[in-house]
Amino acid sequence: MISALVFEWRRLWSIRSTWIMLISYLGSIGFFGVFPLFSAREPGMQSWIGLYNTSYNFFSLVLLSVIGAQVFGHEYRYGTIRLTLTEFPKREIVMIAKSLVLLFFVTFSVLLSWGLLGFLAQFAPEGTVTSTAEGFTFSPNPPADLWKVLLFIVGYLFIAMSVVTITRNLALGIVIPLLMSTILESLLGILNQFAKQKFDWITTRLPFDNANDWLGDGGLYQTPGLTFAAWVVGLYLIASVMFFKRDA
Amino acid sequence: MRVEVNNLDKHFGKTHAVRDLSFSVEPGRVTGFLGPNGSGKSSTMRLMLDLDSGSGETLYDGKPLTALHPVTRAVGAHLDAKFFHPKRTAFAHLRMLGAEARISKARINEVLELVGLESVAKKRPGGFSLGMGQRLGLAGAILAQPKVLFLDEPANGLDPQSIQWLRDFLKNYAASGNAVFVSSHLLSEMQLLADDVVVIAAGQLIAAESMQQFLTRAQGTNVVVRSPELNRLRDFLGNDGIEAKFEGLNTLLISGVTSDLVGEIAFKNNIQISELTLRSASLEDVFLELTESGQEFRVGGTK
Repeated sequence: MISALVFEWRRLWSIRSTWIMLISYLGSIGFFGVFPLFSAREPGMQSWIGLYNTSYNFFSLVLLSVIGAQVFGHEYRYGTIRLTLTEFPKREIVMIAKSLVLLFFVTFSVLLSWGLLGFLAQFAPEGTVTSTAEGFTFSPNPPADLWKVLLFIVGYLFIAMSVVTITRNLALGIVIPLLMSTILESLLGILNQFAKQKFDWITTRLPFDNANDWLGDGGLYQTPGLTFAAWVVGLYLIASVMFFKRDA
Repeated sequence: MRVEVNNLDKHFGKTHAVRDLSFSVEPGRVTGFLGPNGSGKSSTMRLMLDLDSGSGETLYDGKPLTALHPVTRAVGAHLDAKFFHPKRTAFAHLRMLGAEARISKARINEVLELVGLESVAKKRPGGFSLGMGQRLGLAGAILAQPKVLFLDEPANGLDPQSIQWLRDFLKNYAASGNAVFVSSHLLSEMQLLADDVVVIAAGQLIAAESMQQFLTRAQGTNVVVRSPELNRLRDFLGNDGIEAKFEGLNTLLISGVTSDLVGEIAFKNNIQISELTLRSASLEDVFLELTESGQEFRVGGTK
């Protein structure tokens, strides 16, 4: 298992795009999170938790999802999956190693982004960020607990990875979660209204709407949180089964 | 390490790509894997490496691939000259592949030097030629000095010097007790390289034997004779029950005898001989003869 983790670690960090995406992610977080602080005209416009919530704006999610998609995307695009599986014929080992390294990467990236935000906020005009301010985020919700933000980003990247594993198409792993979260789910909601809520059974079970609800309020075990988790786990299980059963 | 292939079988939809294949790859020998395009060679190799699912089994000294540890010390494979990320440097590519067997950086440099890529070790292989890609693939396969080496068309894109180098390398690799299993379309090259052959056509086994046995299997060897007295010679041969036929006007072709016997008969009967040659069937002759009926994709349309 250790050697599979080393293999995956080296695979991840030995390509330029990993570094580019990580730096771009941190750059976008810095820009979207801190830039407004310097243009603020009044003190107390942002809360600390609101500041850290900016680590999951949709642009930064796209950048991170590239890494999630590349976990299997590069392997299939360049045929290296056959080298990987020759070296590790037990496919469950490969799946676990890739998942753990991705989990570590996301956690590391998000923690790094929070560290960066905290550091840069020190240079903002005094009193701009306070612990009592209501603050703002880029989502329609009030700031979410940070553990929820982290879990959401992890879930988003695992969805990207699973979509690629199922479709064997790197681009779809980036595009499908993006379209679902920004356009398709809203569109389905609108269509459902025209249809007089006949499709509530669908629209109430969409992954990112539920994730938004969950981020907005409530605890870990609320229905929206479980619905989002079910999507993540469900897609991951389908991807795993397909990875185990299909020809390389 | 001996590789034993038992009843491999694989369907792709309605296509029966590999049909109940059984053969073995022996240590200390180079085994050539031959077959026309679409005959199932690559599918067989993938089945042997557990990359594809099918029925049957492949055992390595009696064990399945998943029971070997570390796998890369037992089995190395080079299946395609383009199996690398174009932006990952050659060195980083090998460093990644060396994870399972904990290969040192010194060994990676040694292998890069061996395949002639030391000067481009830090370059990204996206711009490599096909031949350089083959070398990088081979470097990855031999990195952990595996006991069994799988190579799929490793000579494609190599220049003549490189082909000669590859031949010598593989012969030496096998001579040190390793099993080498190599597929190739370059039959003349395979004749020089392989000790044993496994031949398939349309997914079926045609032959699995030593190269020598395979070459004598079809038309066998012929004795070619040129003489101003061919008709007389033919009569005398006929008296001894030896059948001879004309090949053109000035040449006689005799099957199933040695050149010594033909020379002796001519000498006894005072027949002048201008040429007496033993002509062996080439691998290409035998291959074409045996695989003709099972050729899936041939020039001029599919079968």
